[in-house]
Amino acid sequence: MIVRMARVRIAGPRPRLDAVLAELQDAGVLHFDRPRLPEVVPADGAVARQRRHLERCLRDVATSLERLQVPAAPGVVSDPPAALPRAVRRARRVRRHAERLHLSQAALEDERMLLLRYREFFQAFESLVGQELTWPDGQAFYVVLRAGAENALGALTQSLQATVSGEVEVLHRELSTGEWAVLILASSGAAVKVAELLSASRIDELPAPPGLGTSNLLRALPGLKARLAAIPAEIATIDAERAALRRDVSGWLCGLQAFLRDRLLLLDARARVHAAQHLFLLEGWLPAADVAPLERRLQAAFGPEVVVAAIGKEQGAAADAPVALHNPAIFRPFEMLTRTLPLPRYGTIDPTPFVAIFFPAFFGVMLGDVGYGLMLAIVAGLLRLKSRPGTMLRSGSMVAMACASSAVVFGILFGELFGSLGHLVGLRPIFNREEAPMSFLGLAIAIGGVHILLGLVLASVSAWRRGRRREAMGRGVTLAMLVFTATALLAALRVLPPGLFTPFAVAVLVAFPVLVALEGVVAVIELLSAFGHVLSYARIMALGTASLMLAVVANQLVGAMGSVLVGVVFALLFHLVNFAIGLFSPTIHALRLHYVEFFGQFFSPGGAEYRPLGHWHASS
Amino acid sequence: MEIALIAFAAALAIGVPALATAWAQGRIGPAAAASLAEKPELSTTAIILIAIPETMVILGFVVAVLILLRTGA
Repeated sequence: MIVRMARVRIAGPRPRLDAVLAELQDAGVLHFDRPRLPEVVPADGAVARQRRHLERCLRDVATSLERLQVPAAPGVVSDPPAALPRAVRRARRVRRHAERLHLSQAALEDERMLLLRYREFFQAFESLVGQELTWPDGQAFYVVLRAGAENALGALTQSLQATVSGEVEVLHRELSTGEWAVLILASSGAAVKVAELLSASRIDELPAPPGLGTSNLLRALPGLKARLAAIPAEIATIDAERAALRRDVSGWLCGLQAFLRDRLLLLDARARVHAAQHLFLLEGWLPAADVAPLERRLQAAFGPEVVVAAIGKEQGAAADAPVALHNPAIFRPFEMLTRTLPLPRYGTIDPTPFVAIFFPAFFGVMLGDVGYGLMLAIVAGLLRLKSRPGTMLRSGSMVAMACASSAVVFGILFGELFGSLGHLVGLRPIFNREEAPMSFLGLAIAIGGVHILLGLVLASVSAWRRGRRREAMGRGVTLAMLVFTATALLAALRVLPPGLFTPFAVAVLVAFPVLVALEGVVAVIELLSAFGHVLSYARIMALGTASLMLAVVANQLVGAMGSVLVGVVFALLFHLVNFAIGLFSPTIHALRLHYVEFFGQFFSPGGAEYRPLGHWHASS
Repeated sequence: MEIALIAFAAALAIGVPALATAWAQGRIGPAAAASLAEKPELSTTAIILIAIPETMVILGFVVAVLILLRTGA
C-alpha cells in the first residue's frame, strides 16, 4: 500500500540552519520540497564553490578506491576529518599514488602481452641463437606469412635470390597456428634492396618489440626471455605496494567518502531551503506517522526557536506528495514486479498485494504440475541460499517459491506429476484439464472476468478517493455492464436459468446510455476492450494445455525409441526443456496479464519516489 | 476426407496466426533490442511489447482446439 504522507513547514533563525539540517539528516525522514514562495531564492556562490570543491575531492576518493580495488562496504559510516583541507590534499596524494601504481601495472601487462605475441616466433629460431652470423653487420627481417602461403614463400625466396643473390639467406619454420615464420638475413649492402622488395610485395615485417635496444630480434632473444621472466616479479612488487597502500588508507577513504557524500546530500537539501537574512524556511514530505516524533525531536534539540507546522491540504497539494510503498513482509518480494513499472501516483492504489495473490495463482494454473513445481522449489531454495536479505535475488527467490507452491497445489488439483505420471503414484485429478479442455477454457475466462472486475472496482475506488466522482461512477457502470452481459450470455447458453436473459439484457440496454452520458463515446471503446481483456485470459488455458501436452509427449518417448534406456534419457531431456519453457512462458504471460489487462483498468503511474534526506550508504 | 479437412482447418487456425505473430515479433524484437541498448530501463515495456502479438497464436491455438473438439475429430 502507499504510505500516507504529510507536508510540514519548518522555520527557525538563520544561524541554526546548518544544525537543523544535520538533525534532519540524522532523523532521515524528511523528503525536501522547495517552499511555495513567490520570491526567487538567489543562488549562493559560496555554496556552489563548496559543492565543486567537495565533488572534486569525492572524485579523487572514488578513483583511489577503484584503483586500489577496495570493495564497497555497506556498513561504513561518515568519518568527519579533523581538518577538511588536509584531508582533501591527502586524498589527492593517495589518488596520484594509486594511479601511478595502476599505470605502471598496465604498462607491464601490455609489455608482457606484446612479448608473448613474439615468443613463438623467436622460439622457432631459438636454435640459431649463439651461432655466428654470416653477416655480423647485416640486417635481419622478420616476416609472418598466413597459413597455406607456401607458394608465396617460394616466390619470395626466388625473388630475393634473383635480386641479391649470395647476399641473403632465407630461413622458415611453420608455427603452431599454421602460419609461417620467415627469417631473412641479409648483408648490409643488400638490406636496402630486400626492404624494397618486401615493400613492393606488400609483405609486412614483424616490428621489433620496443625497449629491447636493438633492431636484430635474434640477438635480442636472450634479453627478451629475461624480460619476460622479470615482469611477473615487477607486477608482484606493484601488487604488494598497492596492498600496503590499501591497508593504510582504505578505511580512511571509505569514511571520507561517506562524509563527502553526506555533505553533498546536505548541500542538495540546502538548495531547497528558503534562507533569508534572519530566518530560514523549509518544507518537505514525510510519513504522517512520523510528524509528531520529528516535532518532538526538533523541540528537544532546538527548543521553541525552531517551529514545525503541518501544512493543510489546501496549501500542499497531495498530488505532489512523494510515494513510499509499505507492504506486509509476505507481499514485499512482489514489489520487484510492480517496481519494474513507474511508481503509482500518490492517492491511487498500490497493486503489489493483488500481484502477490494473482501472479503465483496464474503461474500455478498454467504450470500446474507437482514435479515441475518441486523442481522450481529446489531452484528457489538454491537462490535463497545464495542471496543476501534485502537483495533483488532474495526477492526473486521468494517469488519463485510462491510460484512453485502454487504449481504444486494446482498440480495436485489437476493430478499431474511430470504430465501423465501422476496416476502412477496415486494422484487422482479433482479437475482433469487433459480430458476437459472446454471446462478449462471456461475456467480461464472466468478467472479473467474476476480479475478484470476487480480491476474496475479498484479503478472506481481510486477515482472516488481522488474526488473524481464522475469517473468513479463510469467505472462502476462499466463493471455492472460486464456483469449484466456475462449473465445474459450465460443465460442464453443455458448455463444459467434462461429466464435471466431478458432482465439482464434490458439492464444492459438501460446502462449503456448512462455509461455514454457519464464518460462519453470513449467509454464504449473501453467497454469493448474490457471484453477483449477478459478473453485474453484464454491464454491461461492455452499455455496450461500446451505444457501438459509436452509433458505427455515426453513420457511417450520412453516407449517410442526402441531402447527403454535411450527413451528414458530423451524423456528426461524433453522434461527439462519443458520445465524451462514452463518457467519462461507462464512468467511472461502472467506478467502481461497483470501489466496490460489488470493494471490497464486502474493503475495510474507517475508518482515521485520518497527520498528523505539521510546519511549516505555504500549500497545506495 | 472429412477428418483431413477438419485437421487442415485446425492447422490453419493456428498456423496463420503463428505466421502473423512471427512477423510481428520479428519487427518488434529488433526494435526492442535497439531500444534496450540505449535505455535498459525499458526492459519491462520491451517484454510486454514482444508478448503482445503472442495473443494471436494463443487464441489461434484455442480456436484450433475448439475446432477439433466441436467436430469430434
